[in-house]
Amino acid sequence: MEVYRDGKIYQQEYERGKPLGPVTVIGTTTKTGTKTTFKPDPLIFPNTKFSYDILQKRLQELAFLNRGVTIKIFDERINEGQEFCYYRGIVEFVEYLNRASEVIHPEVIYFSGSEDGIEFEVAFQYTTELTENLHSYVNNIHTIEGGTHVTGFRSALTRTLNQYGRKNDMFKDIVPTGEDFREGLTVVISLRVANPQFEGQTKTKLGNSEVESVMNTRIGDALADFLEQNPKTARVILRKGVLAAEAREAARKARELVRRKSALGGMGLPGKLRDCISTDRDKCELYLVEGDSAGGSAEGGRLREFQAILPLRGKIINAYKSREDRVLANEEVQSMIYAIRTGVGEEQDISKRRYDKIIIMTDADVDGSHIRTLLLCFFYRQMYRLVEAGHVYVAQPPLYRVRTKDGVYYVQTEEEMKRQLLERGLQESVFDPRDGRLIEGEMLARLCTTLASMEDAITGLERRGISLRDHATRLDPQTNRLPAYHLVIGTEERWFFNRADIDQFLQEQGLGQAVESQAGAQVTSPPEAAAGGAPAEADQQERKTPILTEFHEIRTINAGLRDLAEMGFGIDSLIPQERTGIEEPRYVLKRGQAEKPLEDLRGLLAAVREAGEKGLQVTRFKGLGEMNAEELRETTLDPARRTLMKVTMEDAGAADDMFRILMGDKVEPRREFIEKHALEVRNLDV
Amino acid sequence: MALLTCPICECTFDSEKSPAMPFCSEKCRLIDLGRWLDERYGIPVEREAVAGDEEVSDV
Repeated sequence: MEVYRDGKIYQQEYERGKPLGPVTVIGTTTKTGTKTTFKPDPLIFPNTKFSYDILQKRLQELAFLNRGVTIKIFDERINEGQEFCYYRGIVEFVEYLNRASEVIHPEVIYFSGSEDGIEFEVAFQYTTELTENLHSYVNNIHTIEGGTHVTGFRSALTRTLNQYGRKNDMFKDIVPTGEDFREGLTVVISLRVANPQFEGQTKTKLGNSEVESVMNTRIGDALADFLEQNPKTARVILRKGVLAAEAREAARKARELVRRKSALGGMGLPGKLRDCISTDRDKCELYLVEGDSAGGSAEGGRLREFQAILPLRGKIINAYKSREDRVLANEEVQSMIYAIRTGVGEEQDISKRRYDKIIIMTDADVDGSHIRTLLLCFFYRQMYRLVEAGHVYVAQPPLYRVRTKDGVYYVQTEEEMKRQLLERGLQESVFDPRDGRLIEGEMLARLCTTLASMEDAITGLERRGISLRDHATRLDPQTNRLPAYHLVIGTEERWFFNRADIDQFLQEQGLGQAVESQAGAQVTSPPEAAAGGAPAEADQQERKTPILTEFHEIRTINAGLRDLAEMGFGIDSLIPQERTGIEEPRYVLKRGQAEKPLEDLRGLLAAVREAGEKGLQVTRFKGLGEMNAEELRETTLDPARRTLMKVTMEDAGAADDMFRILMGDKVEPRREFIEKHALEVRNLDV
Repeated sequence: MALLTCPICECTFDSEKSPAMPFCSEKCRLIDLGRWLDERYGIPVEREAVAGDEEVSDV
């Protein structure tokens, strides 16, 4: 031992705890400090070899715990050494521990303070890891067994996060436990205590009871402040805890699912399943049929040898305040898993499948498309490999039955039906716009096609609260175009033709960036205010923020207007005129001797289709249940006559994307989705 | 390699490295299954949309 002080170097040597001689002065110095030279005695230590890694680890730890102190280590045996010095102390320790993990919030959270002779420091950060990584120290001693400082910290963490989550309405169904909040937590706790009491087998557990209450109160207060001031980080941490809790719950449910299945035995099949006779997997098919009545028709119409039927019902539940959701009932989800027999997730094994084709058969209406979206999404997420291997299909039941004098045929989609009626109606039709022209043949077909292309767009626009008659007054006569962008600032509103004009306007008015609204014209602010924000403040800001809505329909309408102009019609031709009742009809559709007066061009399309329906008896099926067993077999079940659409990964992925929008808490994208949904359904039907 | 967004935790992940497509991890896949079994996945029922469907059916 050498001590440098008062300009002198003092030295003394020891062996087996006893000094070998008195303290002697061995030289002079200007330095101060102590140098300890230690050589292990092989009679006492069975192993006298120093481990560089252990020493290095411990010294680095000490450098973290004592910020600003430089610690050097040099191994003369291998001529290698390192130097540690950390100015940010245990914050850097946490960063070091997380160096190979993915953190979920950028900053390490750090609290420190002192009370009643206890000095504490805590630094922590969450990662995507599944376990907790906790290091606690008291007076630089690693308290491996924890103790009151750890207990105090943990209870403060759980209590404060729970309070914050409750206050901000972040727990919808499941409240996380302390364990959930420790998942992925990396934390370093360092204390300096005057009279530490160490307990436990290795004396590495802190026993001072006063420490627990100090930690509990002080960390709780500091964390509550931190959460209030950092709502973004708070949300990320809370979300992590909620997901951990959900995963715990889900694991329990999944175990139950497997247990129930084995309790049912190998043949444990859902009661509603009407299985097929054959066990030749490559020939067997399972129809998932929407509704019990359609299930009944399908059961009657199926080929029993190879076709199994599982009727499913979409269940309506009250999801949130004033919102109803269509869900797949729990029993239905279970029935499907049991019937298909491949299992889900990790245990998924498509070689165990009972059927070669899983065929989704739903009504061709909005409800049906919702159930189909749910099912596709379920398969994509939970039976990914089944979709990947191309075992999932969508049946194409017809939407119309058409009786002619020659017999019966079926039409699958509304588009196709309309196209057929138009084609038939165009024959022998002559349109008289009463301007000296007579429009027929190809020209009339072109006019009707243009009108048909605009039909849905105009209907859509009017459904969003904008009548064509009102909007026509905003037409730019030079370009013959309607404005598609609607800007609302407080109570003021303005229409624009393109984004550049909006930007210019906002700049001139000294207004900030406009907020994009995804919904229709009558935007109501979402009932659920974003978590963490003060609602009153947000309201006030909203009043000043310009809200921009783009009406996509108008693009289609503008394209149609251009075509109409080429044929000599303006926008007014689409709008019925005020009439006194005594003048001649504005337009006339002639078919042979018959003349039909028309108010506007929109009426022309309907009149031509109506003419096309002559001699036909068209029935639109409201649902699969309206078809009898024989009809269902002829059109949808019989492999020789049906058409099936194989679900590709892209289809399923698209269903999943739609679903994510629908599931989101954001109200506006959901509304927009509903508007567009009909189109999506049709795309799927093609 | 394709980067995807996990439907549950919303993290970005490499589809080729995921053990539980289309999720980032088995844990997220499990949470998803739990939500199906809990009937927490739904599609909003809009009265408007139903009425609209009938509106356009006048062929």
